[in-house]
Amino acid sequence: MTALSRARTGNRRSKTLAIALFLAPALALYVVFVLFPIAQAAHFSLYKWNGLTPLTEFIGLKNYQVALGSGGFVNAFGNNLLIVVLSLAIQIPFSLALAVMLNRRFPGRWVFRLLFFLPYVLSEAVTGIVFRLLLQPGAFVDSALTSVGLGSLVQDWLGDPAIVMLTLFVIVSWKYFGFHMILMLAGLQGIPKELEEAALIDGADRRGAFRYVTLPLLGPTIRVSVFLSVIGALQLFDMVWVTTNGGPLNASTTMAIAMFKAGFKSQAMGYGSALAVLLFLVSLVVALAYQRFVLRRDTDGALTTFGG
Amino acid sequence: MSTRWRLAGAVAMISIVAAACGGSSATNAPTTAPTTAASTAASEAPAGSGSEAPSQAGGGAPVTVDWWHITTADPGKSDFQAIADAYTAAHPNVKINITVLENEAFKTKLATSIQAGDVPDLFQSWGGGAMAAQADAGALKDITSDISSWASTINPGALSIYQYNGKQYGVPWDMGMIGFWYNKDAFSKAGISAPPTTWADFLSDVSKLKASGIAPLAIAGQDKWPSMHLWTYLLLRIGGGDNLSQMIQSKNWNTDACTKAGDQVLALNKLDPYQPGYKSAVYNDEAAAVGNGKAAMELMGQWAPSVQMDQSADKKGLGDKLGWFPFPSVEGGAGAPTDGVGGGNGIAVGKDAPPEALDFLKFFNSVDNGNKLNTDNVGLSTTVGTESSVKDPNLQAVLAGRGAAKFMQLYLDQATSPAMGQAINDATVALFLGASDPAKACQAITDAAATQ
Amino acid sequence: MATSTSTSAPGTGADIGAATGARSRAAARRISVIGVTSFVVMLVVATAILVPIGYSILGGFKTNGQLVANPVHVIPDPWVFDNYREVLVGSFAPTFWREFLNSLIVAVVAVGLTVLFASLAAFVFARFAFRGREALFTLFVFGLLFPSAVAILPLFILVKQVGLSGNLLGVALPQAAFALPLSIVILRPFFRAIPAELEDAARIDGCSSFGFFWRVLLPLARPALATVSVLAVVGTWNAFLLPLVVLNGADQWTLPLGVMNFSTQYSSDHAKVLAFTVVSLIPAIAFYAVAERQLVGGLTSGAVKG
Repeated sequence: MTALSRARTGNRRSKTLAIALFLAPALALYVVFVLFPIAQAAHFSLYKWNGLTPLTEFIGLKNYQVALGSGGFVNAFGNNLLIVVLSLAIQIPFSLALAVMLNRRFPGRWVFRLLFFLPYVLSEAVTGIVFRLLLQPGAFVDSALTSVGLGSLVQDWLGDPAIVMLTLFVIVSWKYFGFHMILMLAGLQGIPKELEEAALIDGADRRGAFRYVTLPLLGPTIRVSVFLSVIGALQLFDMVWVTTNGGPLNASTTMAIAMFKAGFKSQAMGYGSALAVLLFLVSLVVALAYQRFVLRRDTDGALTTFGG
Repeated sequence: MSTRWRLAGAVAMISIVAAACGGSSATNAPTTAPTTAASTAASEAPAGSGSEAPSQAGGGAPVTVDWWHITTADPGKSDFQAIADAYTAAHPNVKINITVLENEAFKTKLATSIQAGDVPDLFQSWGGGAMAAQADAGALKDITSDISSWASTINPGALSIYQYNGKQYGVPWDMGMIGFWYNKDAFSKAGISAPPTTWADFLSDVSKLKASGIAPLAIAGQDKWPSMHLWTYLLLRIGGGDNLSQMIQSKNWNTDACTKAGDQVLALNKLDPYQPGYKSAVYNDEAAAVGNGKAAMELMGQWAPSVQMDQSADKKGLGDKLGWFPFPSVEGGAGAPTDGVGGGNGIAVGKDAPPEALDFLKFFNSVDNGNKLNTDNVGLSTTVGTESSVKDPNLQAVLAGRGAAKFMQLYLDQATSPAMGQAINDATVALFLGASDPAKACQAITDAAATQ
Repeated sequence: MATSTSTSAPGTGADIGAATGARSRAAARRISVIGVTSFVVMLVVATAILVPIGYSILGGFKTNGQLVANPVHVIPDPWVFDNYREVLVGSFAPTFWREFLNSLIVAVVAVGLTVLFASLAAFVFARFAFRGREALFTLFVFGLLFPSAVAILPLFILVKQVGLSGNLLGVALPQAAFALPLSIVILRPFFRAIPAELEDAARIDGCSSFGFFWRVLLPLARPALATVSVLAVVGTWNAFLLPLVVLNGADQWTLPLGVMNFSTQYSSDHAKVLAFTVVSLIPAIAFYAVAERQLVGGLTSGAVKG
């Protein structure tokens, strides 16, 4: 009796110690290199500051006022939103369709799987540079279109403010659809084949079986994929920076580009920090809303605690 | 408030440049009659050559000098390395740590380094507003007295660009003037016998070039600044130098000259004169278009031939076919046709630079090294006594232009603060890309100035 | 289950066996039609992926003249080896190999730290019940919303203050920190899915918490760890902005910086840019070829399912 209770107390103490020790390294690294800089950005955003002089000119929320007024944040936000909408409407369904195709057994399947995921491992710098070369006026893409008689489709892909975001969307999708496809493929392979087969035997056609059996079971995976895609689209930076610098005429300036330009090009660090905070807030609101209204179902079940 | 001061300072020093450049550059044009300035320059030349054997500054304790420059192309890059090697060979205790950065990467990196208080000892500078901000941040070393013994070996006008509030923070090694670089073959093929001297002629020549099947003018819509210079020149020709200085100081860009300059940009746009892909082009693309003979002209500084060469497919550029002419006069404009837009490259000195860094700077600006940079077309040396080593007829023309200018406006995006420079670039490129109108552009710049 | 939803099933025949046979034949035919269509779609997508990559690889074997003269003629004529030779063993080789080594160092340190720290933390979040657990976990999840670009300036100042500016560690540590959230989010459900009976058994055998973690959990979680490692390697290897501001000289640069710098420096020398770019791809592709099975294995065994 006493021995057992002593063991239990010892257990509890060692449990607390284990929690602390296990959590400490990640927490320390995370607080120092992620959370602290975020707080710093919030602090800087209240100052008029060129990033060089000491931090003295406190101006309250004026940076935010400028950003939301004439500062072009709204335009940049619109560009991000366009990518979000296109990703949800095209990229995600496209990835899902390919995942379904790849979920069947056929010879050479692994080749396609290997290929489709390949762009994801290439760096944004490399992808951007290659596409920039391909899309130069008169370069490969234009010549290819012309040579198959589609010369009328030729555009100033990266130079026309009206279509530059669409071009960027294609490039971004080129790089990331494979990632989403693999996520969904993983989800699909986690669904027992028997369920769909049972539905088929019970008289459902393939489309029905997919729609009423597979798709609901794939729900959690799709929701994660959508979430990562939306957040990625909101924070789009590297690819745009390498291919267009946010141009022409800010037509492809995303929130992160606007922030970086303000901070490092115009040396308006205070203002740039305000843009950073706004970008963070937008992401946060989207994430919280998503968590609250969409992901909840998934996590409700998952949050049962295990012993320990 | 401090920005206002800075602008005024920048404008003031530019007018000094104008007067000063007029004097010294007369020496390098052998055909012009000798002036009094020439003899002054000549008498100073020995002082310059004296720096060939730099004095032992560091005693012998090992010292490292960090130097960031943006001369990424040869021969400049290897010239810089060779100069550093020559210095360290004579001073074995000194190690010169060179970092060659691409322009944009350099700016990004320098800003963060200054913020963090970790400034390189020597680094690329253009003087003007950016340097003033660096000085305000305490990132630069006041070298007024350090260089006093050899300051007279440098073109005083160019030197003054690197002064702020009466203190010297850097030293130039290159100063030139922006003008039109053109393809002579393309011009004669279009039936143009001589470069245009008036804006009306220029526009009609553009039409002729277009009709002959070549893109008349190359610009860079993504980098913005090349077309900004064209707009600045129009502003300068139409309103005159005093008017431009006034606009910078008063922060009011809603002027007659500003809208008229914009009107002329639109008149040029109407001729559809730019190279394919100009909207997303960067400066190197622009240079390649001219160097490969795909575009007939670009408005650019003295570095244009070397970049064209480097960016052309055959690495040769246009060679003899390349010509230069100053920006034409605008009919009815108040500005003198000799006024210029110019600037150059220099080296700023970081706050913690050791004496060896300054000694190296002196060596870097010796007549021998200046001559080397001139003969390799790396720049137009500002070291007095190097003028005769400019052999290229085009660069001689630039040098003559630099000398003839009574008023020289430092590049607008450098004379002003970085934020203001960005605003000017944004507003003007919108005009060239057909997404704005003159009144809107002037208003946008005025709005940006108001927040400074 | 979803039996009642057979909306478009062909007629309900009297002879059940015949109907089923007909249906399955029809289904088979439909499947093969769908199969052909989807195969064509996949071929098109595969082409769209291969063309830019192939264009780059072959472009490196051309002269600039060939590239400009006829961009669609993809096969070099004649083949030019100078570009690749210059990058691999010629004048650009020292630059390339140095940048490669720097990238490697950063990746090894960052990924090592990420995997170790994230699995320790995920273990706690998955298998310990304590007050504030969900709040702490949410704190990490917030990190997903915050790319390093947003905090780049304060981050830089911080790196400088702790004396890591111009040091590869100054890139690796923040990279690891920013990779933690995704890693923890992926690992936690995986650790959670391991049956409690195993843990009980381990305890009875005298395992401490760490012993269970180290000797039972980690080996079982190998697929998930592989997934996390691959994602962390990809993120770290490709990072652009953070190395740009943290690293000082070109001798410290990582590959993406090198590629970007090379492409601006030789911007019109397309053939050389392509050659350098392609060579810089090789490590990523080689790594992918090795890790692909692990990655997909990890994902398919349920690591990323919310």
